[in-house]
Amino acid sequence: MGNRLTLLTLAVCLVSCAQRGSQPYELQSEKDLAGHRVATVSGSIYDLKLSQRDDIDLKLFTFEADALQALLTNKVDVMVHDDIFLNHNARDEYGVKIAFKGEDRFPTALMFRKDNFKLAEALNDVQSQMAANGSLDSLKTLWLEEKYLDQDHYTHIPEEPSGEPLKVACLTNMAPISFMVGEEWYGIEPDIARELAKYLHRPVEFHLYDFSSAIMALRNGMADMMSGCIFITEERKEEYLFANPYHSYQPAYYIKDIDAQKAGGAFWDRIRNSLEKNLIKESRWKYITSGLLTTIEITILAILLGSVFGIGICAMTRSRRKWLRRTAGVYNWFMAGIPMLVLLLILFYVVFAKSGLNPIAVAVIAFALNFASGASDVYGTSLDAIPYGQTEAGLALGFTRLQTFMHIVLPQAVKRGLPLYQGQCISLLKGTSIVGYIAIQDLTRAGDIIRSRTFDAIVPLLLVTVIYFLLAWLLGILIQLLTPKKSVL
Amino acid sequence: MITISHLSKTYHNPGGSTLTVLKDINCTIEKGEVISIIGPSGTGKSTLLRALNLLDPPTGGEILFNGENILAKGYPVHKLRQKMGMVFQSFNLFEHMTVLENVMYAPVKILKKSMEEASEEAMTLLRKVGLAEKADVYPSSLSGGQKQRVAIARCLAMNPEVILFDEPTSALDPTMVGEVLSVMRQLAAEGMTMLIVTHEMKFARDVSTRVFFMYDGYIHEDGTPDQVFNHPTHSATKAFVQRIRKEVFEVDGKDFDFLNMETRINRFCIKYNIAGKMEPAIGLSRYLAPEYMKTGDQLTVRITYSELSGETALDFMQAGATAAPLIFQDQDFRQQLLSICKDIKEEPTTRGFRVKLLL
Repeated sequence: MGNRLTLLTLAVCLVSCAQRGSQPYELQSEKDLAGHRVATVSGSIYDLKLSQRDDIDLKLFTFEADALQALLTNKVDVMVHDDIFLNHNARDEYGVKIAFKGEDRFPTALMFRKDNFKLAEALNDVQSQMAANGSLDSLKTLWLEEKYLDQDHYTHIPEEPSGEPLKVACLTNMAPISFMVGEEWYGIEPDIARELAKYLHRPVEFHLYDFSSAIMALRNGMADMMSGCIFITEERKEEYLFANPYHSYQPAYYIKDIDAQKAGGAFWDRIRNSLEKNLIKESRWKYITSGLLTTIEITILAILLGSVFGIGICAMTRSRRKWLRRTAGVYNWFMAGIPMLVLLLILFYVVFAKSGLNPIAVAVIAFALNFASGASDVYGTSLDAIPYGQTEAGLALGFTRLQTFMHIVLPQAVKRGLPLYQGQCISLLKGTSIVGYIAIQDLTRAGDIIRSRTFDAIVPLLLVTVIYFLLAWLLGILIQLLTPKKSVL
Repeated sequence: MITISHLSKTYHNPGGSTLTVLKDINCTIEKGEVISIIGPSGTGKSTLLRALNLLDPPTGGEILFNGENILAKGYPVHKLRQKMGMVFQSFNLFEHMTVLENVMYAPVKILKKSMEEASEEAMTLLRKVGLAEKADVYPSSLSGGQKQRVAIARCLAMNPEVILFDEPTSALDPTMVGEVLSVMRQLAAEGMTMLIVTHEMKFARDVSTRVFFMYDGYIHEDGTPDQVFNHPTHSATKAFVQRIRKEVFEVDGKDFDFLNMETRINRFCIKYNIAGKMEPAIGLSRYLAPEYMKTGDQLTVRITYSELSGETALDFMQAGATAAPLIFQDQDFRQQLLSICKDIKEEPTTRGFRVKLLL
């Protein structure tokens, strides 16, 4: 416990140190960026554009919130993103300002699989209808003219018809493009997608993906279209199909505003504000609780399944048949070598791609397969730790082989192996934090979702960390409770 | 009760080599016999015991237990073991159970006795081995001797017809050997049938009704303790029961390293605490070995010492010879020799002719 406290203190110190000091920059145009550290989101148009310049120290982040945090903590000098990324209020709140806006205009559209002309054409029809009757303009006014921060303006979500849903992979959880409030998605692109769904008489579903996962989901049909301020580039056009652009966004170069009043107040006020913003507002704590349940569900199911499967693997490694031992050896070698994330992605996007299996089920299977290997190792080590004399003594008393194993060897092995087993379970728990890659909203992803809405990189992260600690501790207690008690008779 | 005929056991090593530990074992064991199995290490004593209760199933031959062939296919081995208890060198107590649980576990689980009955019987047995007060402790807090007594009680709890003891005192400190042997003595006095692999010669001599001397995979000698210990018929038996230690030198010509031989005789005498014999042994070998070299190139010199009788002897064996060298017929020389050693024995052997000087 002492260790954990030390770690927390250390993290807090690092954060507070990083926030001190800043310098002014005279930035007027993109030429002035030379020699500066520039943050942007990896895979974005700015990534593509600025990575061509070798006089810029480009830093790439997965989420906008991380890029913004890098700017706030002086890890970068400039952050580049769409001009609608932060409105007045938000800029004041975080103490950033727009140094200048870029010359370019980036046409943006929803993206489809290359052969999905039908859907793209449908969207084009929808968009031209919307342009004709003025509803596209009113959407733009609603979302892009900085009125969206007020909850009253969020679009009412109508009842959706039943049937095969239109699956939209959202790359970003960022107002006003596409963002979550509770379980529901809002923003200009979800609204366009809803118009398309209405036109097709299908319900619509939104899932949050990172760029690489979304591409895989699109390719194997787990998603029908991709949303998230995707700019049309020649390269992308070769691989994917775009609908007609609905808007052109302008790049904005954000810098820290050293004149801005930092959100002040006493320490506890700041903490309260931060918790208010990250947890209470828009009921954001619900992401944490539902993510927590998902994490627990995956962990427990994977442990149960993997433990049973591990018995099989362990039996194989100890079999008299050479080919069984070999098979188990190859299995363990494979599981020891493959990164868990790769295994998860292969299972989800390749092996079970066509099965329509629930992502949680796939995650359970992936972690169970990996856990089985570790568990079989734990079982083997524990059994080997029991001297053969114990078996001989049991046999010599007249127990059968099975009785000897069940009554004499196993109870001792369980006692020995439990700490190892507990360690395996806890690393499984922590390992589940990667399931966000297959669009599962677990505890880690819940933190990411909150972060991407509040642009607060630290509090959600710390909160999630604390919950993981508690979970690991509770898991340990649970396993201890399940331990067979001392008396054997 | 037990009839063993032409029993053999061969191990097949992974490398393809084979090792035959039991070659041809034949014997009959009657109810109430206490049989000590003695012999040098590696001659198959433990393997024989472990073959009997099929912990190491034999590879050939036949074992009849109460008239039933226990090597027959489908024979219920666990039933056999319930009647044939075993006590191990390393105790093998169940470390996760208390002493009492160790003793009552098998009766409860196998014989389906009630907890009360089993615990009552277990306490009786623990009292018998003098450990009733340790009933509720775990084996890890017991001394070796106490552990082995618990192991005997555990074995007795199944009410076996015969108990196999596999070197029950070999892992114990000398101070703890006595307590275990006295429990075994008591069992023997009560008429328990026992087979004991042991290095405790005094125990074997005093308590056994019969002794097997095992050597090279056979029961070399089988008889009463008096026959085996006092009148052994085989030289190997004799060497073993008299605890004869030896050092052998193959002298293969005039160029043999005689100084090295002296060094080794020296070391031998120090090792067995017979420094007084060192001088005559070295002197005699230094004088006689070159003498032998005059009549031939091959000579085996051997110094032996019996830890039991204290007898030390220096042997000269000349292969192919039919008599001792001529010099031994010289009466003055013999007198001179007898002033150094106690006796001179001359005997023809299958390989040649031996002269034995008792020091």
